[in-house]
Amino acid sequence: MIDLLIAELKRTWIQFIRYPAEVIAGLVIITSVFYGLFLSAQYMAGPNFAFGDRLDAVVVGYVLWTLTLYIINDIAIGLQSESQTGTLEQVFLSPLGAPRVFFARAIASLALRLSLIVIIIAILTGITGSQLAFPPVLALPMLSLVMAGYGLAFIMGACALIFKRVQQILGVFQFVLLFLLAAPVEEWNGPIEILRYLLPMLPSTGLLRDVMARGIDLNWGDFGWAFLNGVAYLAVGLLVFAWAERTAKHNGSLGGY
Amino acid sequence: MQLVNDLVSTQNLDNTAGQRAIVLSAQGLVKGYGRGKRRFEAVQGVSLTLHQGSVLAFLGPNGAGKTTTIKMIAGLVRPDAGWVEIAGQNPHRQVAALRQVGAVLEGNRNLYWRLTAEENLEYFGVLRRVPRRLAQRRGAELLAQFGLADKRQTPVQKLSRGMQQKLAIAVSLIHDPQLLLLDEPTLGLDVEASQTVKALVKEIAAEGRAVLLTTHQLDVAEELSDRVAIIRQGRIITEEPTQALIRQFSGSTYRLEVDGLLTPAQQQAIAAFGGTVNGSIVHFSGSPTSLYDLLNVLRPLPLVSVARDRADLTQVFLKLMQDPADIRHD
Ligand SMILES: Nc1ncnc2c1ncn2[C@@H]1O[C@H](COP(=O)(O)OP(=O)(O)OP(=O)(O)O)[C@@H](O)[C@H]1O
Ligand SMILES: [Mg+2]
Repeated sequence: MIDLLIAELKRTWIQFIRYPAEVIAGLVIITSVFYGLFLSAQYMAGPNFAFGDRLDAVVVGYVLWTLTLYIINDIAIGLQSESQTGTLEQVFLSPLGAPRVFFARAIASLALRLSLIVIIIAILTGITGSQLAFPPVLALPMLSLVMAGYGLAFIMGACALIFKRVQQILGVFQFVLLFLLAAPVEEWNGPIEILRYLLPMLPSTGLLRDVMARGIDLNWGDFGWAFLNGVAYLAVGLLVFAWAERTAKHNGSLGGY
Repeated sequence: MQLVNDLVSTQNLDNTAGQRAIVLSAQGLVKGYGRGKRRFEAVQGVSLTLHQGSVLAFLGPNGAGKTTTIKMIAGLVRPDAGWVEIAGQNPHRQVAALRQVGAVLEGNRNLYWRLTAEENLEYFGVLRRVPRRLAQRRGAELLAQFGLADKRQTPVQKLSRGMQQKLAIAVSLIHDPQLLLLDEPTLGLDVEASQTVKALVKEIAAEGRAVLLTTHQLDVAEELSDRVAIIRQGRIITEEPTQALIRQFSGSTYRLEVDGLLTPAQQQAIAAFGGTVNGSIVHFSGSPTSLYDLLNVLRPLPLVSVARDRADLTQVFLKLMQDPADIRHD
């Protein structure tokens, strides 16, 4: 398994870096989009508004959004394009079994994106003078968030296996994701409050905003919910993916037929 | 002398095939696509058996069901009925069975184009459960064997079609599998590249692996295969040792050429055997044993050639496609 992880990291990294111009262009674009979003948030909040935790919370939301979006896109678009070019069938020929291989891929892709995000955050906090906190306990809600994110990624991957064309679904999904990550769930009351715990990633994003932008200590009870949420979505994602694999093998459609 | 060689080599094969271990056994594979009116039975009861070190050419017209069968064997397409065993394990039940399968699939990129030759070998090695260091070492050996050592750091994208194909075959061998599936391995290759691929397939079989290959180039099939299976509309219409199949479709007329002139006595003796003489060329129809009696008559003239009028696989194939009912073997 370690070998597989190293191999996937290596493959992801090489494919990413082989054309450095693409990489740099990508970084510049993401950072400027981020900055643009940040500025427009500032603008909408109005000049007299006291910035501070609210704005930082927006930054955290955007950061998480790109991170999960990238993981999901990596897996779903990766599956789609590999099915068209033909390497996908070679991957499914692995005696390790496809779910394990794709899980290793997801981790490799996360590692790469996380490093990029750290760079981007560093640039952004430099430009905006934002003060984000990075206590080590951050890793926990991050983990629960990523697990739920992987769950969604595997569900999207399953769509790619079955429907072949996922760009449209992914386009719509982008906004759903934005809502999930930026929704001010802390302010939800009454019956919809329960959605805070049921929708994917919501309990984790709330925690991350608290810890990173508001400097609040981690609430362990809430983290318990967030963790359960992550585990549940990951499990559902893996099940759906396994089902999609069986269906694709039944339809003979792994190879882009 | 062709004849003698053929006899000896097929006899050898027939004798040894029984002792060699079975690598692949596929029984009664059935696969249909689509539903209702659009339902289409692509494969209808195909069974194949392959022994160690043997090469089976799997032939048939477009859409006959070759690729579907190969993918069912590789666990990529689930059969509606029937089963597959590779070295005793069913790839649809135990993924571990795939440890013994290498495959180069038709018309596909089987490699990552942004990775170099070396990187592809290492990556796929790990994917096939070879420890990383071992994958690197075996990768280097395979690159040397396949004449790609100087291209080891070239991204696949920049390799020629022939080199890509050779590399794809090398990658499919990285985990030292017992069974190699090659779907149209010489498609789109120039003459020279085809020759190298053919030579490599021979080497691979000589290493004791079983090879199942499909091709539309019947000369390739004839040269490489021990056995031929021909599939038509999803059913196997014949499966036989290649040479036996060709013999079966060959005339029983021999053509002998001698150096020098035949004496009238010799000519008479030949006529008594039912042969005809045309200058220094003798045509003769008869059993292989009576051929030796005829050869005695020709003594002491030096022989230039002895050949049987021989069909080739293309003729066999065309005849079978016209009228498969005649030659069905059960
Ligand atoms: N995934 C699929 N869905 C629907 N039909 C399919 C699928 N795969 C193959 N077929 C159909 O099944 C039949 C057999 O196809 P297959 O690819 O096995 O033929 P083949 O013998 O490999 O042909 P070729 O020589 O052209 O490669 C064809 O009619 C093809 O259109
Ligand atoms: Mg085919």
